[in-house]
Amino acid sequence: MLSISSIFRGRAARQTASQDDAYYTAGQFALIKARFMKKTAGLVAGFVLLLMLLMGLFAPFFSPVDPGIDGADESYRRGAPQAVYFWDQNGFSWRPFTYTYVKDQPKTDFAALLQGGGGLAALDKLTSSGALNASSQNKYTVHEDQRRYLQFFVRGWEYSILSIDTLGIDIRWDRHLVGVEQGMIHLMGTDEDGKDVFSRTLHAIWVTISIAIVALIVKLFSSLLVGGVSGYFGGRVDAVLMSITEAVRVIPPIPIYLACAVALAQIDLTPTQRYFAIAVVIGALDFATLGRRLRTHILVERTQDYVLAAQLSGASHMRVIWRHLVPSFGSYIIVDTLINFPYVILAETSLSFLGLGLTEPVNSLGVLLQKAQDPDIQQNMVWQFFPVAVFVALVMAFVFVGDALRDAADPYSERNK
Amino acid sequence: MINFFSETWLLWLLLLTGGSLFWASRNSQYFHYVFNRFLMALVALLSVSIIVFSLMEVLPGDCAEKWIAYKSTQGEMITQADIDAERARMGLDQPLPVRWGEWVTGLTLKGDLGFSCSKRQSVNLALGDRFWLSFMFCIAGLVLAYVIAVPFGILSAYVLNKPWVDHNPQHGSLKRLLNTLGLGLAKISDVMLRIVSYLGLALPNFLLALTIILLYVFAGEPTPTGLFSDEWRSEPWFNESGFQWGKLNDFLGHIWLPIFVIGWAATALQLQTVRALVVDESSKLYVDAARARGVDGLSLWAKYPVRHSISPLFNSVGFDFQRVFNDLPIVALVIGLTDAAALLIEALAMTNDQELAAAILFLVALVVISMNFITDIVLAAVDPRVRKSVMGG
Repeated sequence: MLSISSIFRGRAARQTASQDDAYYTAGQFALIKARFMKKTAGLVAGFVLLLMLLMGLFAPFFSPVDPGIDGADESYRRGAPQAVYFWDQNGFSWRPFTYTYVKDQPKTDFAALLQGGGGLAALDKLTSSGALNASSQNKYTVHEDQRRYLQFFVRGWEYSILSIDTLGIDIRWDRHLVGVEQGMIHLMGTDEDGKDVFSRTLHAIWVTISIAIVALIVKLFSSLLVGGVSGYFGGRVDAVLMSITEAVRVIPPIPIYLACAVALAQIDLTPTQRYFAIAVVIGALDFATLGRRLRTHILVERTQDYVLAAQLSGASHMRVIWRHLVPSFGSYIIVDTLINFPYVILAETSLSFLGLGLTEPVNSLGVLLQKAQDPDIQQNMVWQFFPVAVFVALVMAFVFVGDALRDAADPYSERNK
Repeated sequence: MINFFSETWLLWLLLLTGGSLFWASRNSQYFHYVFNRFLMALVALLSVSIIVFSLMEVLPGDCAEKWIAYKSTQGEMITQADIDAERARMGLDQPLPVRWGEWVTGLTLKGDLGFSCSKRQSVNLALGDRFWLSFMFCIAGLVLAYVIAVPFGILSAYVLNKPWVDHNPQHGSLKRLLNTLGLGLAKISDVMLRIVSYLGLALPNFLLALTIILLYVFAGEPTPTGLFSDEWRSEPWFNESGFQWGKLNDFLGHIWLPIFVIGWAATALQLQTVRALVVDESSKLYVDAARARGVDGLSLWAKYPVRHSISPLFNSVGFDFQRVFNDLPIVALVIGLTDAAALLIEALAMTNDQELAAAILFLVALVVISMNFITDIVLAAVDPRVRKSVMGG
């Protein structure tokens, strides 16, 4: 009995010893990954996030309708969402289907208006009959006897999967995941131009994410520059740079972004340039927090032996900062960048919401959210709130993943268990 | 003489404060620290003024152009020479550092924030009480955030690694049942609050405000936008029959919306911060030591980790204020407020009024910096750990 338990204990001890070896020799990233894998909420959120990112990245494939004005459904403007069914009173079908939705064409007879002598009285009558108001424009009929079956991997409008102008690479494809036999399917309805809300939202995800990526890269560089230089040189450089950082930290950032966006609006830019300019502005002004942390870290690290060794072997200042000091802080920087994703997205949305970021023909989540302000949409086209739901889900997923990552990257979190 | 002092009162006030702090610092280490902090705050304010003033230069147009544009709408013929003359008269032809110098001099001498082009009056008059209104909004939002976030953040940290059921064999069965009920309640409220707080992080303020307004629209009620409803807007606070309680009632019926909206996001963030701070502290060795000495339950939590996490929380009040004010302009736009934040957005995006925008941003920075100054010196007086670290024993 005793011997068995001692054997067990011995094996257990040996096991923990080998685990300990693996633990102590594991790299920073392996540790973070192992800890992250234990967090259910973070994993689920990560899965959702990955799904959304993929759908955003391959938006043309997943969206059934061209989101631009070319794909606008002229005969189904301000149209309600078209539901997808597997069965109805006419029976069950393995292939999902939707009904035929027909928009009542406004039967406003302007000729009659003129014929009856015209004048304001006739116009008044027309207006009070309700033919012109928004809710009557929203009317549609569903022909339940006319099923339209969904098709998969359907041929549709052509789009480019991968396009690099400088290399002349442009891979084009025309297959889409979902389509219907006749006409188009509008899973989340259409807006006032007849553009498909679902497809627009899918395309918007990637635009918003790519702004955030550009902004975060710029932010990374500006904070590395400020924090690295300030921490490495110390002394007077440090004092000057840190007092600037401190001053920037106390000014609320959104008004500053606003001022820059107003300035950008004066310059004649194409939508793409504007888009990158906004991302650069958001990123470049956000160096205070990360910059300060980097500086503190480098102030501690710069007296270490490996830095002295690098300096003695003749490395330049920049090389010491970039190749020796910054990598020692690499995992923290990456995690911090990921955690900041939702905040950058929120900044872009706020700007677009004010009409100073991206503007209408571009599909970005901010642009789509801005529409929520419109009373017409609030009362008559509730389905245009779909981007709001997607936006909230996206930011939530980012927040959950960021939280789990922060916990996973914290070297002291092990002790809590 | 009186005229001279009324023109330079702020400078004397600053000098007097600095002088008395310096005098006190000669034989008190604490006041030496306070004096240093005071100087640092002044330097920070100066650099803020440089940044704000030069950033506002990116806004297009200048005062002279706007004034001339206004005149030309009145039917006057305008030439480039007129614009240049006007520019020279307003001192806008001077280089940026000179204009900044004048602005800062006016500011430090008598608290003069400059001249607002779009309002055609001094910024101090144009702002009036509006800044205080915004200030009170932010403070109320912050108070709301702290009142919710501090107790629930602590609770959340407390139940973090607790089981749902009390299995402690030392407890009697009744006590175990009660503990289980209490734990369940705490855990459920923790989960709910965390969901709410994640939503607060994910749902931008303006969307929240829009949603609430939308609910009012659907319910057919008048929306609580602005500060007063129409019937009370022009009524004075006091009339013949004394204080108008109806106006106060109406005011409170409108004011909760912006406070709630900006308070929610702040609560969400604060909840996470408090939780992280308390969790951090509760895993430290001194808590284990106290537990080993037999301190347990509520007194352990209140005396050790919670007490120690209060100081960093208190220290961040200034930056919390900045974060809350950051959200205020867009909320003000959605709700239709007429406070300084709305004025800021108007000055930035619509009228391009550089000095007004710079003045409002400077005032926000002033509040943040003075809050940081106050929390720093209070902490140094109260918290022995801070006192030791800043004064070397």
